[in-house]
Amino acid sequence: MLIRIQGGRVVDPTAGRDAVGDVWVESGRIVAASERTPDRTIDATGCVVMAGGVEVHSHIAGGNVVMSRLLLPELYTSEAAPEGHPFAHAGGSAAWIGANYARMGYTVAVEPAMPPANALATQLELADIPLLDRGALTVMGNDDQLLQLLRQREGKAAVRDLVALSVATSRGLGVKCINAGGASAFKDGMLKLSLDEEIPVYGLSTRKIMTALLDAVEEIGVPHPLHVHCNNLGIPGADESFVDTLEAAEGRRIHFAHAQFYAYGVTDPENPATGGFRSAAERITEAMEKHPNATFDVGQVAFGQTVTISLDILRQFAGRKGANPKKWIVTAGDAEGGGVVPFLYKPRGAVSSLQWAIGLELMLLSKEPERTILTTDHPNGGPFTDYPHIIHLLMDKEKRDREIAGLHKVIGERSGLCAIEREYTFSEIAQLTRSGPAKLLGLTDRGHLREGARADVAIYRDDRDRTAMFARAKLVLKDGVTIVEDGEVVAWRSGHTLELNVESDKAMVARSETYLQDRYGAGLESFSVPDEAFPKADVFEEVACLS
Amino acid sequence: MAAWVKGGATDADAAVEAAATLLASARTPIVAGLCAELSAVRAAYHLADLIGASVDPVAGPALYAELGPLSRTGAMLTTPAETLGRADAVLIVGNAPWERAIVQEIAESVPTRGRAAGAERTLLSLGGTRNGATRHVAYPAEADGLAVSVAHLRAYLKGHLSGETAYGDLAKRLSSAQYGVVLYDPEELGELGVEMLQGMVKDLNEVTRFFALSVSDPYQGRALLQLSAWTTGQAPRVGFGRHVPEHDPWRFDSARQIAAGEADAALWLASLPAPRPDWLGTLPSIAIVGEGSPEATGDAAEIVIAVGVPGESAGGSVWNDRRATITYAPASGQATALTAAGVLAAIQDRLVQKKGASC
Repeated sequence: MLIRIQGGRVVDPTAGRDAVGDVWVESGRIVAASERTPDRTIDATGCVVMAGGVEVHSHIAGGNVVMSRLLLPELYTSEAAPEGHPFAHAGGSAAWIGANYARMGYTVAVEPAMPPANALATQLELADIPLLDRGALTVMGNDDQLLQLLRQREGKAAVRDLVALSVATSRGLGVKCINAGGASAFKDGMLKLSLDEEIPVYGLSTRKIMTALLDAVEEIGVPHPLHVHCNNLGIPGADESFVDTLEAAEGRRIHFAHAQFYAYGVTDPENPATGGFRSAAERITEAMEKHPNATFDVGQVAFGQTVTISLDILRQFAGRKGANPKKWIVTAGDAEGGGVVPFLYKPRGAVSSLQWAIGLELMLLSKEPERTILTTDHPNGGPFTDYPHIIHLLMDKEKRDREIAGLHKVIGERSGLCAIEREYTFSEIAQLTRSGPAKLLGLTDRGHLREGARADVAIYRDDRDRTAMFARAKLVLKDGVTIVEDGEVVAWRSGHTLELNVESDKAMVARSETYLQDRYGAGLESFSVPDEAFPKADVFEEVACLS
Repeated sequence: MAAWVKGGATDADAAVEAAATLLASARTPIVAGLCAELSAVRAAYHLADLIGASVDPVAGPALYAELGPLSRTGAMLTTPAETLGRADAVLIVGNAPWERAIVQEIAESVPTRGRAAGAERTLLSLGGTRNGATRHVAYPAEADGLAVSVAHLRAYLKGHLSGETAYGDLAKRLSSAQYGVVLYDPEELGELGVEMLQGMVKDLNEVTRFFALSVSDPYQGRALLQLSAWTTGQAPRVGFGRHVPEHDPWRFDSARQIAAGEADAALWLASLPAPRPDWLGTLPSIAIVGEGSPEATGDAAEIVIAVGVPGESAGGSVWNDRRATITYAPASGQATALTAAGVLAAIQDRLVQKKGASC
């Protein structure tokens, strides 16, 4: 079917396009303007037309997400379900996640923390998220098998083969390390870890582990750079960890997760632990400008109750003291495990206000929005459903000032946000939420509206109230099929789970089989994610490695 | 393959039709058991939503002994593999864990990873069976039961009680562990006991690393708990009477519902072995059970459909106790044509057709 989206303001920064025009769609792809009469014409007059949104870092599936639902069942409310999908209004469920992303015009979402030991459960849950294409990043960096290889100085090839095997077995889209070595150190009694501190038993450091993974990701040709959660998240002086890690990458591609939680400079160098923090957004921005190999997602804070979820058990154990309400879970898992700690971001609280300001500051200072991805690190900074509000704040200085006026005065004292006049343009929003994350994930046919792109298209009514505009898309096409109209889902369909097409080395397969049998009494097969495990066929779609 | 309607053997299509008819006329049906592969449990939740049923797994008592404390205070947990690889001290609480294979594995191994690697492993018991076959240091439970015993032990650890007592000695042993684990059965220990035990483990982590490991129920509870959470956003006992998942562990306890006369029909799902509930034949009911099981007979319920058993005559994602995660179990023998998920989907399809026809 030939579709013409007519008369909308088409915003595609990858083509330098921001003008009223048409977008043509056929067979699930963007096509060139046609002489033929379209089978369907969508009137986009008065609307903004963008590619579908792409999410790179949102905790939407896996054992710790499940735990968060059980720890804090009151976080979400369920409403009576409309006709269509039975569970889409069940707060926090997989169907709720898919529906709410789709309503905002998002068409891809990636779970950033899939432990290989729990891959099948994570993938089954992801597959139950409707409407979107989704994927997961395979987490490494605390598993004994990898740390043993590194301790024994086995060389780059062995690490590469183990990483490739782990990604292939878990059917991941990329590789992530989370406070590399931190979970292992925590299990052995440590409560803090910096980049070069020695990890007990293994004689390694975060730097050594991360460097090995950076090399492996390059050698394998994983399109998404190593996704890094640094040491010392959320503490004053975390900006040091961020910058040190950035430099440790030595020019290799690297993506930083939730940078806001690291943009905390020490206020009182004499008393770094007790003197509080101030915004280090300028420092992080300057460092990023010097390192074009790096990208980050923001991890913007949204006020209200949430629950933090992280495989960084060392950090989450420390964070238990701030649990609100006072309950928390820490699991020492087979590698990382996980920590689930409820948290309340208080609008009148100094710390939460400053965190909120720092996230916005990071985005507003960035000269390259494509390297600055909008996330809330859902649900850690707040729910992803806050994106429209955040976009509003970025695009409207007056709105920003009104909100700041109601928050703690620390924003003016310890951040540079108040002085920033910048307002994001639609093109910059598209870079922040479409082209940037799509490029970052190596999804070359998404995040733009050029010919040949996948017909994932979001159409929004141009409304000065940007929150309203981006919360409920007028129309969303997924692969050329209308899935949302006037902010409501009209067609429930399943997307695909994106997996990296990576080959496994036979010798590493044999070696891992022996290791796993010895450790778990079960081999690689028990870690596998077979097609037969899924209730529907055609769940996965391959993404090629870089050649 | 076998199916029965009112005791008479029939084919699967007829049994599905009869099941759909029975459920279509029910006003407050229940879907219970759910001791099955995940694809079947998933199909059961979808069917429950369609018919406005409440859902209650046979694993409910074991699950809810943990879920209450979990949502009130949280937990510090570990896995069997980490216990075997790292623990230099393991405390076994109660009798029930001794029945599990992991105790023998723990007793026969030493820590090989982490800071305790190479150390002796101390096996301790509180209120256990004084199992003479496995070398361990036994501490008796107090007369008031396990939960109170754990509370007293915690008091010694916190310094609220002191003295040269057995529990004082046990507290010292636990505090001196480098990676300690307490193994327990939540159903045996009870809600208050679990909450106290988790509090004790959290207290221990102020001085060392210590984690809890609860033995899994044998009825797929850990697997369906995850599916329930991602499907409904809630723990398993939910009702769909208002077509929105409402979680209420008391209200949707199937045994209570049936005893109170609140349910007028039941669907029992157990493609894997599970104890047949005594209420199964007392109200209009459907049993979807594993082929070759004792329940695969015409008198088990009004409608009985025998289906493939995951890991034997069907593939399926099931709980792997040793791995403490969901893994896929392929059919070990000839796969049968009829799966539990397929039967449930067929019943759902027939119900949708009936609904359409009645409009």
